[in-house]
Amino acid sequence: MVVKALAAGAIGLALGVAASGSILADPPFGVVTIGPWRVAAKAGSLEADPYTRAALARSGEIPLALGEGLKLVARVDSAGRPLDRRCLYRVGSRTPAARYWTLGLTDADGYPVDNAAGRYGFRSSEILREGDGGFSVFVSALAHAGNWLPIGHVQAFALSLRLYDTPLAASAGGIEKSSVPTIDREGCA
Amino acid sequence: MSLTTRLGGAALFVVAVAAAAALIHFAVVLLVPVVAAHDAYARLAELGPPGTTAPLPRAGPNERRFPWGDPALAGSFCRFDLSGGPLRVKAPVGRAGFASLSFHTRRGAVFYALTDRAATHGLMEAVIVTPAQMRQLVAHDDEDEPSQDLRVVSPTVAGFVVMRAFSELPSLYAASADQVKALTCASEPPTP
Repeated sequence: MVVKALAAGAIGLALGVAASGSILADPPFGVVTIGPWRVAAKAGSLEADPYTRAALARSGEIPLALGEGLKLVARVDSAGRPLDRRCLYRVGSRTPAARYWTLGLTDADGYPVDNAAGRYGFRSSEILREGDGGFSVFVSALAHAGNWLPIGHVQAFALSLRLYDTPLAASAGGIEKSSVPTIDREGCA
Repeated sequence: MSLTTRLGGAALFVVAVAAAAALIHFAVVLLVPVVAAHDAYARLAELGPPGTTAPLPRAGPNERRFPWGDPALAGSFCRFDLSGGPLRVKAPVGRAGFASLSFHTRRGAVFYALTDRAATHGLMEAVIVTPAQMRQLVAHDDEDEPSQDLRVVSPTVAGFVVMRAFSELPSLYAASADQVKALTCASEPPTP
């Protein structure tokens, strides 16, 4: 009986720790999905849930405040397929209202990826635009004409869209799917 | 031992494992923020002593300290400890572009933030206080001449302030990095 109880406790300990490790890598609570983008608007606030708080403490991230802006992260394309370094993606052509935005490429942990062009992202204030004010950013490992965001030497990558000084900050849930950029897979090598 | 008794014993074992796993899981999740030795505050501690302004390293492939940083923004920070008195934070805003101040608890959560839109006379300014210091300040306020200070209560005695400035072009990053150097965090004498 005692042996059984100890065995149950030991297995439970291992399972509990393992479950905590995996769930804190990407806590699912308080996250809103808008097309391919995910946003955890309350992640850095005092109202964050215990899972999100623990994940923040572990990652060391310095979160943006709601009043400063919003961070949207995409690990899949608009069709829901995981982003693949062998493919070419077109990201565009509009963003929700914000004073400035940036579109960056990082590894799975959120760090920029080394590439020969030294290009880690685009700012709304530097990007080449089309006649109607829209834009296209091309994400691929191979060089591309126009706004090229290189994938660099990494297996899994993520795209991050930051909206600075946006009126949406108070209500991340209110972002329209039609207002966020789409991530269209144009072809794969 | 009959078959039903054995099945009952096995079910009890599974329930015991699940209960232990759930208990451990919730304990881990609640304890991580308290015991995390390498949270944002600890990482900042490697970059500068408390009470002084230091630049945040620019996000890049070789800077793996703070994930999800934006290379388009320059940043600086100061860590604070309110046990010696309130902290007056001042950050001049630049000519153009987005700039912000965020106030973080010891655990990294933001308890207040303001942007350059809230600046007066080209300055973002606030006084961070503990709840007790807030009560003392209010008690000493002159009713005819109320304080113009923006007072913000910090939920924790220790914490940190981050200033960020957006660079509109890659070539303007250096100017933004200069701008955030002007962040000051000065301890005020405690109210008698």
